[in-house]
Amino acid sequence: MKNKLLTGGFLLLAGLCIRAQEVTYEEYKLNNGLHVILHQDNTAPIVTTSVMYHVGGKDRTENRTGFAHFFEHLLFEGTKNIERGKWLEIVSSNGGKNNANTSQDRTYYYEVFPSNNLKLGLWLESERMLHPVIDQKGIDTQQEVVKEEKRLRYDNRPYGQLIPVVGENLFKKHPYKDPNIGYMKDLDAATLDDVIAYNHKYYVPNNAVLVVAGDIDIADTKKMVEDYFGSIPKGEDITRNYPKEDPILKEVRTKAYDPNIQIPASVISYRTPGFKERDAYVLDMISTYLSDGRSSKLYKKMVDDQKQALQVGAFNVGQEDYGMYLVYALPVGETSLETLITEMEEEIAKVRDSLISEKDHQKLLNKFENQFVNSNSSVEGIANSLARNYLLYGDTELINKEIDIFRSITREEIMEVANKYLRPEQRVIIDYLPEESQSN
Amino acid sequence: MKNIFTTLFLLAFVLVGQAQIDRSQMPEAGPAPEINLKDPQTFELRNGLKVLVVENHKLPRVSIQLSIDNPPVLEGAKAGVSVLTGSLLGKGSKNIKKDDFNEEVDFLGARINFGSQSAFASSLSKYFPRVLELMADAGLNPNFTQDEFDKEKQKIITSLKSEEKSVSAISGRVGLALAYTKKHPYGEFMTEESVNKVTLTDVIQFYEDYFVPANAYLVIVGDIKFNDVKTLVEEQFTPWTKAVPPSFGFSKPADVQYTQINFVDVPNAVQSEITVENLVSLQKKDPDFLSALMANEILGGGGEGRLFLNLREDKAYTYGSYSRLGNDKYVPARFRATASVRNAVTDSSVVEILKEIERIRTEPVTKEELENTKAKYTGRFVMALEDPSTIADYALDIETEGLPKDFYKTYLERINAITIEDVQQAAEKYLKPNNIRIVVAGKGSEILENLENVTFKGKKIPVKYFDKYANATEKPDYNASPPADFNAQTVLNNYIKAIGGKEKLAGVKSYFLLAEAEMQGMKLNLEVKKTAKDQFMQDVKVAGNSMSKQVFNGDKGYMVMQGQRKDMGPEEIVKVKDEAAPFPELNYLNSDISLEGVESIDGKKAYKLKISAEKTVFYDAESGLKVQETTTAEMGGQTMTSTINYMDYKEVSGIQFPFIMAQTVGPQRFEFIVSEIKVNEGVSETDFE
Repeated sequence: MKNKLLTGGFLLLAGLCIRAQEVTYEEYKLNNGLHVILHQDNTAPIVTTSVMYHVGGKDRTENRTGFAHFFEHLLFEGTKNIERGKWLEIVSSNGGKNNANTSQDRTYYYEVFPSNNLKLGLWLESERMLHPVIDQKGIDTQQEVVKEEKRLRYDNRPYGQLIPVVGENLFKKHPYKDPNIGYMKDLDAATLDDVIAYNHKYYVPNNAVLVVAGDIDIADTKKMVEDYFGSIPKGEDITRNYPKEDPILKEVRTKAYDPNIQIPASVISYRTPGFKERDAYVLDMISTYLSDGRSSKLYKKMVDDQKQALQVGAFNVGQEDYGMYLVYALPVGETSLETLITEMEEEIAKVRDSLISEKDHQKLLNKFENQFVNSNSSVEGIANSLARNYLLYGDTELINKEIDIFRSITREEIMEVANKYLRPEQRVIIDYLPEESQSN
Repeated sequence: MKNIFTTLFLLAFVLVGQAQIDRSQMPEAGPAPEINLKDPQTFELRNGLKVLVVENHKLPRVSIQLSIDNPPVLEGAKAGVSVLTGSLLGKGSKNIKKDDFNEEVDFLGARINFGSQSAFASSLSKYFPRVLELMADAGLNPNFTQDEFDKEKQKIITSLKSEEKSVSAISGRVGLALAYTKKHPYGEFMTEESVNKVTLTDVIQFYEDYFVPANAYLVIVGDIKFNDVKTLVEEQFTPWTKAVPPSFGFSKPADVQYTQINFVDVPNAVQSEITVENLVSLQKKDPDFLSALMANEILGGGGEGRLFLNLREDKAYTYGSYSRLGNDKYVPARFRATASVRNAVTDSSVVEILKEIERIRTEPVTKEELENTKAKYTGRFVMALEDPSTIADYALDIETEGLPKDFYKTYLERINAITIEDVQQAAEKYLKPNNIRIVVAGKGSEILENLENVTFKGKKIPVKYFDKYANATEKPDYNASPPADFNAQTVLNNYIKAIGGKEKLAGVKSYFLLAEAEMQGMKLNLEVKKTAKDQFMQDVKVAGNSMSKQVFNGDKGYMVMQGQRKDMGPEEIVKVKDEAAPFPELNYLNSDISLEGVESIDGKKAYKLKISAEKTVFYDAESGLKVQETTTAEMGGQTMTSTINYMDYKEVSGIQFPFIMAQTVGPQRFEFIVSEIKVNEGVSETDFE
């Protein structure tokens, strides 16, 4: 191959700036406080209907953890007009798919249908909001299902305890200290009254956003939305007043054990600001800088050049009130966990002590642009972004302008933010170790 | 936006009064949306590479997929050569160094990845020409180096290790190996041994044999123009030398002769992985292909499948249970029904899965089930159209699977024409409950007893046993009893004989031991001195500082814990005396000790002796050597168990000593490796002062 060509393309790129196709939408509120966002895209004959409720793992009282996730399950059990166990059948027998997921901050339910079933999607979500059937049988069944989910996702899965362990160590007062899926004893202790009260408090139109996206007609859709959701009664206003954490001023070092692993992991974690804060965007850039791609600093050094790590990564767990920032590595061969920590810290220290290069900065911007284009590639993805941006970030328009935030982050700011949140005395180090099983 | 907002508000008020819907009725679907399935544009290079292009300008991006549709390859004793080839591709080329390659790909915000016979790239469309060039260069001019080879090999071995205990990895591996045998491309798997056998030359040979254009397809989708693509692809891929891969035969797998459970013991499992499987000869071009898919979908296709409804929704045994029906144009594929279930319901889950498999063969599915499943397929088909690469996938399928040209254009019609009888016939043909293999990986000590009593159609299902690598093995023995003429004395005497004999041991006046362990990067040093006069000294140092020290002169003694000295009390003296003897077994011979039974220690039979209420010792049944010692102690109201495993026996002065002592206390484990043992030297009276 021609050598000349291979080096040629490089210089041209820096100056170019792209604009991903703008996502258009309309938004308004119903009388009961339900926020509605409509996005029309007629390229494929499909439609997504989704509701995001502002309720997540953190919305609980002591000894009643894991309620929001438990509800995600319960609210598929049936409604006044939908028989128990029929929900999934209705969706799939009409050519649709659906799912739901729960984070510490919000719960998201959605369906995707061929566009001739828009009305059905609206009916399903409005039924769920208006009058779900909550009874002891549903609670009993879903308690067992959630326990199996916990075994599958956390207890039986290598490194499954990692995020819960980090949460437990970074937070002492804020509900983020407890795992999103909750403690099983809390779910077992839940009474029918507890569960009904939780439903009345959080699953109300004024605590939710409805998104309809895809092959729709705006005027028709508005009428349908009013028909199905307009009469749902408004709930009480919700106030959240979760305790503030004291700053971490001294390094914490702790151990955790996992019977499902053979290779330990070394984890450095930090408490960071909530995802609405500009600093959280900067931290996202830092994690990309450190570990995304084969030329990233940690990967190149620890996996490629020095062969100390099997895997190394950095990621920012974005959450509403506080985030968690993790840098981790799995040793290769004889490398000690101590060495991994020293090597990881060395790269973090460089971000604190000096400016990243201009070329690396441009590389970060290119990566985020690529990510931005891809994040709007499916109607399903757009619906999720619209809901999240409105409900959690308070700005629907972020779907089009989030990239501008990244573009405006300077090299100086990256250094400043690293110094603010990623200092050694602020870190929690976790030695994540294999637990030897007792022999039979 | 603002204007719209206020008008909407007013409109909403108006609508409230007139909206009257009957929400007790499920809304009817509107008229079906129109489907318009386009064909991709195509061309072919002279070396055989076929190119499919789909223009789609919705987003400024493009994806490039190279797939080489070669028959399956048997790697044999060198299993791992294909994985190594895949991981060595895409690391630069003869023209561009690896670091520069990675740097540029990352800089462009692009992705380029290789498999052993495939490649994928994606990027913003403005960088397409360069990304295509980088991908072609890395694929056609790879730079295989010994250094990278060694590194990738090490990584693969480490990751094999990391999966050693994973129940799902074990179950997946064994399920394939048993279905196909280990001598088949789909049944073989990598081990540390097989990966170590692969050389750089093997990788180069593999690449030259199989990374060839005869069966290759390049699919390009996105914001690009066909003519530009044609020019660029011709420029980049014309140098690819025309060649056909070698072809070898391999054994034809067969189903089991009778239905059986194949059990794999995984002591750390908290859930059992169940796979119920049989082989199917099914290809996409078979006339009953879609009917077979329907049957599987109704059985276990998703959250509405019978397996899910039964095992999760009704019984809450599992988070999910599903079935899959494979298809393959070269060899038989697999039907498999799976579930991860909690230990206690493993046997019941097997029974329920078998029942459902039997039921879908013997009873016609309901009209409702069939209609619902058709709708599901229709919906899926429609939804897939959102992704522009679907068009290319369909075209590729028609080409590689030998399908009629209108296979996807008539897909919905053919789905709709399927009858209840078609579904049942397909279920009868492809599901084989009388020749089915039930692979269960789980914690035998908790589940095996019940599993052995599973009956199907009134008959007990036989259980066969396999290890983690699919080798047939003995039934794990959790509560075996020792031979009738065995007692504690026999076991102790065998041990004494095994390590050197009474006479040798009697000649030991003192011994001295140094050992080292590592705890999260810190060194632990252990020093032990003992004499036949029950004198004892043990010192544990961390990074050169004494952490805990015990000294006993035969009558009295003291302990120093982190600098605090404390004299031993009468209870402690009793315990330390037991520790102090160089070979406590000589004393055990004269005390009241019972043989408790046989247990498995690290997979081998061992006799269990109860020394005291707190102490149990295990001796290997075959070698007679001491393999494990467990001690329990009360600490702050809690019972703590400490386990020491003895390994790696070596001879010193005619006596066998363990050179590895692995101590486990709660979740902590220290592995002491002995660096020095001296018999009758290195110990003086002053050591015990």
